[in-house]
Amino acid sequence: MMSKKVIGIACFLIISLLGCREEFEPKISGSDSRILVVEGYLDTDGVSSLLSLSYTQSLQSDIQDFPKVLGATVYLEASSGERFYLSEAGGGDYRFEQDISEEDTFVLKIFLPEGESYSSRELKPLNSTDIIEVDYEKNEDGVEIFITTQGDENTDDFLWTYEETWAFKPPFPSNFKYDQELKDVVERTESEKYDLCYRSEANSALILQSSSNFEDQLVFRQPILQINHGDERLSERYSILITQKALAPDATEFWENLRENTDDLGTIFSPLPSQIQGNMVHDQNPEIPVIGQVGLGKVSQKRLFIDILEVYPWQPEVDDYFGCSLGADTVFVINYEAEFRFGNKVPTYPIYTVNGLVPIGYLYSEERCVDCTLRGSNVAPEFWED
Amino acid sequence: MTIDPMKQFYFVFLFLLMGTGVSFSQDIQEPRISGFFPGISFQRFMERVEEETPYHFYFKSEDIAELTVNLQADQSKLSDLLDAIFLKTDFHYSFGNEFSVFISKGEKLQTQLPEGFFRNVSRSESDLNGEVDEAFVRNNRFVIGELAPGQTKAKLSGVVRSLENGEPISGAIVFEKIDFTRSVSAPDGSYSIVLPIGKHTIYIQNLGGYIEQRLIDLRGDGELNMSIGESIYSLSEVVVNSGAINHISRPEMGVQTLSVNEMKKLPAVLGEVDVLKGILVLPGVNTVGEASVGFNVRGGAADQNLVLYENSTLFNPSHLFGFFSAINADAVESVELHKAGIPASYGGRLSSVLQVKPKFGRTDKIGGSGGIGLLTSRLSLEGPLGENTTFLVAGRSTYSDWVLDWLEDRADFNASRANFYDVNLNLRHQFGEKDVFEFTGYFSKDNFRFDPDTVYGYQNQNFAAKWTHYFNEQVEASFSGGRDSYDFEIIGEDNPLNSYQFGFGIDQTFAKVDIRQDYEDRHIFNYGIHLNHIQLDPGKIRPYGPESIVIADEVEREQALETSLFFSDEFEINDQWMVSGGLRYNLYNYLGPQTTFTYPDGSSFSEQDVNGEVSHESGKFIKTYHGPEFRFSARYSLNNQSSLKAGVNSMRQNIHLLSNTSVISPTDTWKLSDGFIRPQTGIQYALGYFRNMALNTLEFSAEVYYKTMRNLLDYRSGATIILNDDVEQDVLNTDGRAYGLELFLKKSSGRLTGSVSYTYARSLLRTNEAETKEKINDGDEYSSNFDQPHHAVLILNYEVSKRFNATFSGNYSTGRPITLPVSKFEYGGSERVYFTERNAQRVPDYLRLDLSINLEGNHKVKKLAHSSWSFGVYNLLGRANPYSIYFVPQGGALQGYKLSIFGTQIPFVTYNFRF
Repeated sequence: MMSKKVIGIACFLIISLLGCREEFEPKISGSDSRILVVEGYLDTDGVSSLLSLSYTQSLQSDIQDFPKVLGATVYLEASSGERFYLSEAGGGDYRFEQDISEEDTFVLKIFLPEGESYSSRELKPLNSTDIIEVDYEKNEDGVEIFITTQGDENTDDFLWTYEETWAFKPPFPSNFKYDQELKDVVERTESEKYDLCYRSEANSALILQSSSNFEDQLVFRQPILQINHGDERLSERYSILITQKALAPDATEFWENLRENTDDLGTIFSPLPSQIQGNMVHDQNPEIPVIGQVGLGKVSQKRLFIDILEVYPWQPEVDDYFGCSLGADTVFVINYEAEFRFGNKVPTYPIYTVNGLVPIGYLYSEERCVDCTLRGSNVAPEFWED
Repeated sequence: MTIDPMKQFYFVFLFLLMGTGVSFSQDIQEPRISGFFPGISFQRFMERVEEETPYHFYFKSEDIAELTVNLQADQSKLSDLLDAIFLKTDFHYSFGNEFSVFISKGEKLQTQLPEGFFRNVSRSESDLNGEVDEAFVRNNRFVIGELAPGQTKAKLSGVVRSLENGEPISGAIVFEKIDFTRSVSAPDGSYSIVLPIGKHTIYIQNLGGYIEQRLIDLRGDGELNMSIGESIYSLSEVVVNSGAINHISRPEMGVQTLSVNEMKKLPAVLGEVDVLKGILVLPGVNTVGEASVGFNVRGGAADQNLVLYENSTLFNPSHLFGFFSAINADAVESVELHKAGIPASYGGRLSSVLQVKPKFGRTDKIGGSGGIGLLTSRLSLEGPLGENTTFLVAGRSTYSDWVLDWLEDRADFNASRANFYDVNLNLRHQFGEKDVFEFTGYFSKDNFRFDPDTVYGYQNQNFAAKWTHYFNEQVEASFSGGRDSYDFEIIGEDNPLNSYQFGFGIDQTFAKVDIRQDYEDRHIFNYGIHLNHIQLDPGKIRPYGPESIVIADEVEREQALETSLFFSDEFEINDQWMVSGGLRYNLYNYLGPQTTFTYPDGSSFSEQDVNGEVSHESGKFIKTYHGPEFRFSARYSLNNQSSLKAGVNSMRQNIHLLSNTSVISPTDTWKLSDGFIRPQTGIQYALGYFRNMALNTLEFSAEVYYKTMRNLLDYRSGATIILNDDVEQDVLNTDGRAYGLELFLKKSSGRLTGSVSYTYARSLLRTNEAETKEKINDGDEYSSNFDQPHHAVLILNYEVSKRFNATFSGNYSTGRPITLPVSKFEYGGSERVYFTERNAQRVPDYLRLDLSINLEGNHKVKKLAHSSWSFGVYNLLGRANPYSIYFVPQGGALQGYKLSIFGTQIPFVTYNFRF
């Protein structure tokens, strides 16, 4: 629904009007029930796609990794009875790489090693349309990234998710390091460089829209995200990969519930949370809950790069770098060992005498203000284009 | 009523003594006295009166040497003050020409009249066109009626009016102190009391006011109309509260009245006197959060309360999404909440009726009042318009965004703007003796912008007219009609291409005939008919601006006709038993035009069940529901101080607020009962014990109730409420029950007044067994959103002096139920939460303390305006009471948060004035 998102945003702002929020861990008399979670959107054109099987875990659990389901048998069964198996790819993932008919209907079957099995409701491949455009627009607060796409008689509802990657520099980029053995400051090698890094973040955002809300089913410049001035993401070079999936009507409801349960809760006018189900059913006992909405269709993706030159001026303000400054004193050669041995002070800028070729000392800064690898990787990802 | 020569005598007498004219509003020329006289000598009192007024006293110094004055006066007549001072003393006074006042001891000068003059059957002080010598009425024995052989008791009746403005006084108690026989005046001021034949001293007590007395010699049935002062407060008098007497003598229970004065003393958010928030101090009334004017009465939902401004229904009684109530306190006389024992003349909602009584203009002169607060200022003007008409106009408006700016500096948001205003206009016209015409009008408008692109707006528009005719002493009828409308709108301009305008609205036209009839002294019949035509525009969206490509969509309009016939009888069987019973028959017609889906019989209307579509013509009865509503209550007096009461009442509700949130939110829309959504019905049983203690200064009550409700609406997971053409597919038919115990203790007089209440209450829901779409919590019973078992409120008001009082209030309740996730899972690139049982957890308990201090200015009569300051602190402890708890993924992992509306102390200050 068109206005829903806007209402959501406005409601969030009401809270900022008078409300205040604090971190809080409520005591919940929880159940430890393990519920199967099935996630996957299988590509019908033979492009490799993954289905992942995992379990829920208690809310209080601090374990980072969710229990995965290994050794399950998974296949798609066409209405003719023909089976298309998925191969186990490790870590609870199952790979699907087959070209199947887009006219047929299918059922996804999952057999767990314990003997239980699950089936999806009837799946119909969705003939998704391609993304028309991904672009950005400068506005008062910064930059807004948007997508344009068009639905047709088969595809009306869309889900967009995105992953972001950006290059960044620390406040005091340096190419030097203190070598414990030489007891001297030396230049870093290519693999040791920490003056430019790349950081990637998956995002929990789920953006949903129905093309039937618009004339000609043209979803024109649907906002995906807003990056405000001062955000580090645009401080060097930024990349976003937007994934578009066409959704069946029942899938829209699942994703909408998931989104509401994630984004809209806790505000003054929040809706009551919804029970998440999806289109999977436990074969032996339909009362046993299972979470998951599997789909068949074509995933459409587009990547956008934004360079700082396009949005200049852009001054990053990063909380992690709050209070970074250069040390007031130069550390002279004689003091290298005493000052740099522990690694918390890092040589940053060399100081030369008027005609000297060898630095007489270094200005230094804290490690956190110099070493970008503390917050990212110094290796550019494969897709990166400069 | 017969006319006798005495009247003419009075007339001449008054004319000579007072030097004033004859009309009702002529007493402007009589000097009024205001001031605080705390135990000063009478000598000093007279000096002060002489300084401020043209009065001159004549007296013997030795007579008055020991006389002291202990009074607070506000625009009082000298005669009233002297009566109060001389009560129970041997002093008398009389007025001469040119404002001379003669004080005498032992014998009154000149004015005593022989008893033999009073032979008339009927007496009335105010027959003399209003101007009355108070000393005269107070010290003379009125002879009422004619002696008849064998008669031992006689009925005294009449009307109590205000001496100040001639308006009838409702709720004044007329009583005598030997057998404590008493009567309370009706809204039109009328009273009647049965006393033994003989001489009596009758006392008249106005709510919170001063006690007046009249001497009568009752010889037979007769009439005595009385005018009593409202503005003198006695500092030492034992105050009998009319509420206290009503408390034990009325048959109905669960009725509570708050006067605006009482509300004004309560601490309020940003100092706004809030007529709706005021009722939250009453037992059995609760709210789930601060940002909600919506209140819950005895386990009922917020939409089950009928909020009436006189006869007009307020569909959204709040400003600023619930931070303030929509009604300007200046235009309100009092607020009465019926939690049980709802009179048969009211209906249409399941839980309660909140009757806001409008204030009508004074009759004596043009005056006004106003206030300047942090967020709003208000102004009202009232007075006579010609001889028989009065008006009151009141307005309130936000006048600046500076509070929001101030908050903006302290909170992380921008571009928020909010403004609202409301206007009230009340007119009253008296046609002769027997007809009164009243008009009430209300208009309010709100606008908000929380981010630069989205504007919310809503407006209430209500007007109603009422004509009351007094056929005779036994029968009065009122004919009223009016129109109520409410409109809501959102304009989103985030992007010119996606700009939209969303709105919904409701219009209601009503007519009502309400007849009250006294029958053979012991019965009061109330009967009539109530017609209501509701038109609903459930929602529409339109492109906004020329570039927008949003497609217009509209949910089909709905209309319905409600017809209710009601009859009730209040019957005093004997001194112990009083019963009141009523029946209201409600007929509801859902009217075309309408296009609806059809479903097979016995289905619960899910999307898969649809088997067709049918169109109904305009005006066709698509669906009719009808049924009776019973109202019954009984009182049994245990003794003069205590009584037992019991009651049963059943209610029907044909209009539903669709709300998938726990509070009333702006996007909640209304829905009429239709072929699929049935009217909500409920029945409540209640039992109570009422006791007054310490000479009626302490009131105690204990009530228990049990209530069942059917056809309530809850929502399936992922329900869509706005712009949904087929809401029946998203709602779940739900049954509810609620029960509770309410304890209430109130002290209404003395320097320290206040109340303490404790409520234990539960409110539980269960998805109806026949519902197949989804069963919340597997069909088990679950807490409603406002199931808060323990709730306690303490109000203490300490009067340091007449000009300085402080109110402290404390509010505790169990945290509201909330649905919290029990487990988490990974989906869509992030951790997500998994919810299971609805409302199985609670937010932490709620505790809030408030303090307010009210300072009155001095009461010099020549001052242009009287002013007062009130200031204080809301949420004294600065406690961040959690409103909600939720989890948000942060960098892929879940983080829990609690949200509170007011996380800190909120100071306030308001300057009030009247003239």
